[in-house]
Amino acid sequence: MTPPARAVEPAAPAAATGRRLPTGWLPYLLIAPAVLSLGLVLGWALLRNVLISFQEFGRRQLITRTTEWAGFDNYVEVLNNPRFWDTLVRTFVFMAVNVVLIMVLGTLIGLLLNRLGKKMRLTLSIALVMAWAMPIIPSTVLFSWIFHTQYGLMNWFMGTLGFTGFEQHNWFGTGTSTLAIATLLIVWMSIPFVALNLYAGLTTIGGEIYEAARMDGASAWRIFRSIVLPIMKPFFLITTFLEIIWVFKAFAQVYALNGGGPSRASETLPVMAYIEGMGQQQFGAAAAISVLTLLILLGAMSYYFHLILKQEKEQQS
Amino acid sequence: MKRKLMAAIGVATLAVGATACGTDDSGNGGNGGSGSGGNTDSITVWLMDGSAPDAWIEELNTAFEEEHGVSVNVEIQEWNGIQEKITTALSEDGTVDVLEIGNTQTVGFAATGGLADLGEFEGEAWNATMLDSATVDDTLYALPWYGANRVVIYDKGIWEEAGAEVPTTRDEWIEALELIEENTDAEPIYLPGQSYYVMGGFIADEGGAFAVQEGDEWTGALNTPEAEAGMEFYAQLQEFSNSPTDNDEASPQQSTEVVPQGDVASWIGLGWEAGGAIATIEEQGEEADFGYFPVPGKTADQPGHVFLGGSNLAVSERAGDQELAKEWLRMATSQEWAQKFVDENNGGVVPNRTDVTASPEEDTFAAAMVQSAEVGYLPPLTTGWANVEVVPNPIKDLMTKVLNGEDYAAAAEEADAEITTRINRD
Repeated sequence: MTPPARAVEPAAPAAATGRRLPTGWLPYLLIAPAVLSLGLVLGWALLRNVLISFQEFGRRQLITRTTEWAGFDNYVEVLNNPRFWDTLVRTFVFMAVNVVLIMVLGTLIGLLLNRLGKKMRLTLSIALVMAWAMPIIPSTVLFSWIFHTQYGLMNWFMGTLGFTGFEQHNWFGTGTSTLAIATLLIVWMSIPFVALNLYAGLTTIGGEIYEAARMDGASAWRIFRSIVLPIMKPFFLITTFLEIIWVFKAFAQVYALNGGGPSRASETLPVMAYIEGMGQQQFGAAAAISVLTLLILLGAMSYYFHLILKQEKEQQS
Repeated sequence: MKRKLMAAIGVATLAVGATACGTDDSGNGGNGGSGSGGNTDSITVWLMDGSAPDAWIEELNTAFEEEHGVSVNVEIQEWNGIQEKITTALSEDGTVDVLEIGNTQTVGFAATGGLADLGEFEGEAWNATMLDSATVDDTLYALPWYGANRVVIYDKGIWEEAGAEVPTTRDEWIEALELIEENTDAEPIYLPGQSYYVMGGFIADEGGAFAVQEGDEWTGALNTPEAEAGMEFYAQLQEFSNSPTDNDEASPQQSTEVVPQGDVASWIGLGWEAGGAIATIEEQGEEADFGYFPVPGKTADQPGHVFLGGSNLAVSERAGDQELAKEWLRMATSQEWAQKFVDENNGGVVPNRTDVTASPEEDTFAAAMVQSAEVGYLPPLTTGWANVEVVPNPIKDLMTKVLNGEDYAAAAEEADAEITTRINRD
């Protein structure tokens, strides 16, 4: 009988790798410019916005330069306005549809990129990068031309395909139809980010894992679920949350398509804040709406932070 | 470490998103930006697109420069989005000295305290109706400059081809449009879905109005039989047009972007629009052959009601030099220059003074306009009316809904609620 093998005594801790991290005031000094500029650019605007939300602030106050504190009047008014709640629900539905579409289609295209041959991958990548590089307003204008009532490509196309009733069809005639076009636009613009990043992440997964899985008879779906998903989990998490934030605050796409119309039926929260503020010159109410938007987003995002903190803890233990 | 980074990115993106919806305090002007009018070497005058004939403005400014040794910068503004622009300008020092304000918006801006008191000009021979649109609580904040109203502009060639006659009643008008539809390939009338001042005329024909005053409060008056009848006639006319139902006369600009494309048998427009259309058509190397007639009324003895449009001239309370601004105003609205203004427009405007005469030639825009000027209407002259006219305009929304086949009463009730909220806000 041989004595049981004893655990090998750990060797002396590995020599500290590289340089030591700087301590003392140096780290703070290094991030100071970033913090300072953020504070100036964002913090100040945010503070002003919160202040305005507690004021009666319209055309008269702007011109006479007076400050009229109104307490929570703006908030009470906004929260009692049925339009705010309609818009809130609309914003969430719009966001959910967009994010799901973006993530699903983006993931599929990302997986496709990984499987394609060199030439096709290059072609697809170029197409994606171009869609991504397109500035928002030109692409929005382009989409509103495609769906133009009289000269639009879409009506011609539907007619050519043999569908009737599309001569002079007004695609911006209802809020739902307008938001559907906005969805198409936003999804088209957002897919490249997901697809390209996923592809970049996938290249780090070694081929032997797939091979092993296939040897065990795993289906494509199983491979995705048991290999790609767990490995890429941090990617999926952050991308989903980024997309939620981006779609939630999407303003230019919705506003430039139809100005929140017809009859304000395609307004999302940021568009509503803009229309109340710039259009109606009710800056106090508009500021209240944007503060509420911020709070709602913070609430939704707190789940994300919770998730990240939890993972952090799990890793440490 | 990696996840902390992600959290940081999340927070930063969130903040960017939040502030993107939060930066609506632009235009909250401090003391910055002393514009070109900030010194006494020059004054800045804002005029609206299409208002003043170039020759008149040049001659006037030359005369003013000779007298006062001060140059005048005229900056031409677009009507689209003008309220926001004026608000910003009035809140800043020396951005603008004299500015043209539409007669439906003057009262609203006067109430903000942004316009200088022009009491010293009281008692001159002003057109009384126009003066109403420039006065708040018996104080004069602007001077009438000109009035204008819409007429029907028609293509003589197409009407002749169709065998249509110039109508004097609504029924004859519809008959003429039917003839054009049957006998020609042209669009009988170009009428966008949201030309709400035209529609307001039809409501006025029935004895209605956009809003009515009860005591101190105003309420929307679209959910009434009068307004419904007015809208019904508008819809009947709009049937003859190929225009979409969700645009107004400025999108696309009917005078320069629609009519010159050809095949428009008639349209409803202002004098400057007629001029713009003729100029564009001539640029294309063609010739415009326009005739004009007043918007027909229900019976032959009275033309239809038309919106008495027009502009006033005001001085900014924060003008770089109020005295000079008032001097320019005094000159521009004096009998001599007002008469020149009317002459330069070939009588195509309603004069601002009773001592100025407009004598339009036969068969011109002006002649048709003068005929219906007596049957004019003004929207509610209250400080809150400007709030109703800003985007999104509830009257325009109502028109689109009804033209798309929605129930009138329900849509009108919604529009009335919106009008009532906004019109009572200062």
